[in-house]
Amino acid sequence: MTNQTQPPKAIVRVERFNPDVDEKPYFEDFAVEVTEEKTLLNALQEIKNEQDGSLTFRKSCRHAICGSCAMNINGLNTLVCNKPLNKSLDKHGRVTIKALSALPVIKDLVVDRTDFWRQYMAVKPWLIPSEMQADKEHRMSQEEVEALHEAETCIMCGSCYSACPIIALNKNYMGPHALLKAYQRVMDPRDGGMAERLDIVENGREGIYTCRTATDCIPACPKGLNPARAISTLRNMALRRMEFEHAREKRQEAG
Amino acid sequence: MTTENIIQHDVLIVGAGLAGTWAAVIAKQEGVQDVAVLSKIHPLRSHSGAAQGGIAASLANVRPVAGTGPRGPLEHVPDGDEPSDSWQSHMFDTIKGSDWLGDQNAIEILVKDAVDILYEYENMGCVFSRTADGRIAQRRFGGHQSPRACYAADRTGHVLLHTIHEQALMRGVKFYSEWYMMDLIIEDNICRGVVAMNVLDGSIHTMRAKAVMFATGGYGRAFKITSNAFANTGDGVAIAYRRGVPLMDMEFVQFHPTGLYRHGILMSEACRGEGGYLLNSNGDRFMENYAADKMELAPRDLVSRSEQTEINEGRGVMADKQGIFLDLRHLGKEKIMKRLPEVRQIAVDFLGMDPIIEPVAIQPTAHYSMGGIPTDINGRVLADADGNLVQGFFAAGECACVSVHGANRLGSNSLLEASVFGRRAGYAIAEFINGGAQLHPVSGDPAQENRARVHKLFTNEGELAEKVLEELRETMTEKCGIYRHEGTLSEAKEAIRQYQERMKTARVMDKSSRFNTDLLAALEADHLVTFSEVIVAGALARQESRGAHSRTDFKPRDDEQWLKHTMAHINGASGPNLSYKSVFVDYDRYPPQKRAY
Repeated sequence: MTNQTQPPKAIVRVERFNPDVDEKPYFEDFAVEVTEEKTLLNALQEIKNEQDGSLTFRKSCRHAICGSCAMNINGLNTLVCNKPLNKSLDKHGRVTIKALSALPVIKDLVVDRTDFWRQYMAVKPWLIPSEMQADKEHRMSQEEVEALHEAETCIMCGSCYSACPIIALNKNYMGPHALLKAYQRVMDPRDGGMAERLDIVENGREGIYTCRTATDCIPACPKGLNPARAISTLRNMALRRMEFEHAREKRQEAG
Repeated sequence: MTTENIIQHDVLIVGAGLAGTWAAVIAKQEGVQDVAVLSKIHPLRSHSGAAQGGIAASLANVRPVAGTGPRGPLEHVPDGDEPSDSWQSHMFDTIKGSDWLGDQNAIEILVKDAVDILYEYENMGCVFSRTADGRIAQRRFGGHQSPRACYAADRTGHVLLHTIHEQALMRGVKFYSEWYMMDLIIEDNICRGVVAMNVLDGSIHTMRAKAVMFATGGYGRAFKITSNAFANTGDGVAIAYRRGVPLMDMEFVQFHPTGLYRHGILMSEACRGEGGYLLNSNGDRFMENYAADKMELAPRDLVSRSEQTEINEGRGVMADKQGIFLDLRHLGKEKIMKRLPEVRQIAVDFLGMDPIIEPVAIQPTAHYSMGGIPTDINGRVLADADGNLVQGFFAAGECACVSVHGANRLGSNSLLEASVFGRRAGYAIAEFINGGAQLHPVSGDPAQENRARVHKLFTNEGELAEKVLEELRETMTEKCGIYRHEGTLSEAKEAIRQYQERMKTARVMDKSSRFNTDLLAALEADHLVTFSEVIVAGALARQESRGAHSRTDFKPRDDEQWLKHTMAHINGASGPNLSYKSVFVDYDRYPPQKRAY
């Protein structure tokens, strides 16, 4: 008698919703073979190719740099492209995948990011040129670059934004992603817009003072960044802005 | 033509990676008011952002410590010291890397503009890693004599893409994000616009423009093991070809030596640039048998061939002996975490292998498309081998072939090419528009023709497009991969013919209008089977080995017969019609030489 063991199957439970035909979101289970190298993105793609082509999600780079595929996995926001299927299963052999919460669903796992990008634009993500002289390139110290690494690694995936309890209630709040970008520019010695940027993020109840330091953005970030700390740094700088603006002027004069 | 759903712009750029976005920024800067960029994914998701290791420029910021030899430790060049690098050296390396198929006039522009564009990126706020004296840091890369790859840890593409996208936002470029280009409108050799679908609601629009630019990226998704994003389906290349634009040098597909084992995901060349070893199953640094001088830092075509030979001769690693080990342990934890944090995480996430404590399994992976839409040095698309132009049509980046990479691209030259020639295309477009370019009328109703194409996919009852694609990718990898010969290529040619037939009746499962990615995948599949035929036809015809094209039945490079570019024109049902275009060689300065490393 041959003893052929079937590869184990996982249940991939997906929250589905097409507003054109569905009254409300519902869960659908798909059975997928578990193999060692299969990621959650591979599993979703396999379901789409073989079982239901209408299952809809965003994807592109496959290695956590493009920011397309942030979703909610077993209650936590993260990317699906670099998560192994076999390590995402609960004791019933099941993984639950939902769209990022707090953003309107376009279809299944695809969310509407209009507000998300509007807030990103609001902080003027580009460098505002300064008077700092550049001998070909501007000179920057290791410490200055290290500070920027705490923000430039952001891939704008939206995991922190979706996890933020303030965003859930107030779509006018700038959100951790946009404030992290503002932090990057404020910290950049080449930037000429510190005063303007601090004005923008201090603006009434929608900016840095709206954050209640719930810190849900920290575990949500798939790149290990800390938007909460960046927001708190921005607050500090806003409170002592004369001092920081003066230091920046001196730094830029030094070139 | 009905007037509903018609969109008009002065400039319409398809693709929002480095090339397309640079062109948009420059066109705006030069006073063109109405510049729009269309992208099937959000601009910041573009594949330029996935590039890891660096962007080449002879800044001469670092050099090997005196007396330590060419592989010694690097130090910054003190102010006032002799420059340790030059554009001439970068030029020679690029020509040699291209196996002399690169056009030397275009390469000269590439390496000269490199220095200036790096400073421009820096002045735009791009975050680079720095030397001890605060300049842009540089590292070694394969095939380059000097350490000239400027980098930001191992996410260089990411910082460049974000920087140039921010500039486009600042200048008010209009973005059509998640719009899918379906067709190109050319009549009487004048480009008049495109047809595109708004993915959100499935509506299909004719988009007229005075100037159209393709910056749609590469075609690596035709292969089973690839480093490429899902998006790299060669849409622009296939669509231009179908509309009568020739494709150049399509047979030259780069296989990167260090794709993650079984996944194909890129492990940056910076791993070897920082000093990593390649080991076979005996634990030998086998590159000493293939490139004794450059070792692991030989060009990619040579390293990938060497790996494949080791694998074919039974010295591969892992259970199926299809892998090679990339050993970084001797670099130490600190250097790995500082210089290669992303690739370390990739190895941990996907293979459960931590390069700090063990070698990582890798294999060659389809990576870069040297071929594409032929252009002049200003991004203007060529209509034929004689150098006639398609009016109002521009291209740059990986979808284009200018050609600076020839038969094999050097690492860190692709971010550079996309930037330099994207910028040049921007200037050329601005000059074209500011010189009084007109909107040209469009006959018929191209949007309606493309709605019919969608309707057919919705009503077809054949197999699923994905099934055909699976076979295509298998065929391209097995029969048109690192090593090729007449037998396998002829089989591939026949097989692709059948895939094209099968695609005519292929169906999709999702028939909704809202965000239908199933439909997009079927359209992409159609593009993949279209251009794959051109890759194979060029490879079958080219009876020599040059750069990334290695014929086991024609091993030597043959400059007498084959120092020329392949040009492929569509020719109805009988496959591509091949002609050839001369290569720009400066025989006084850079005559063809034997290529050894």
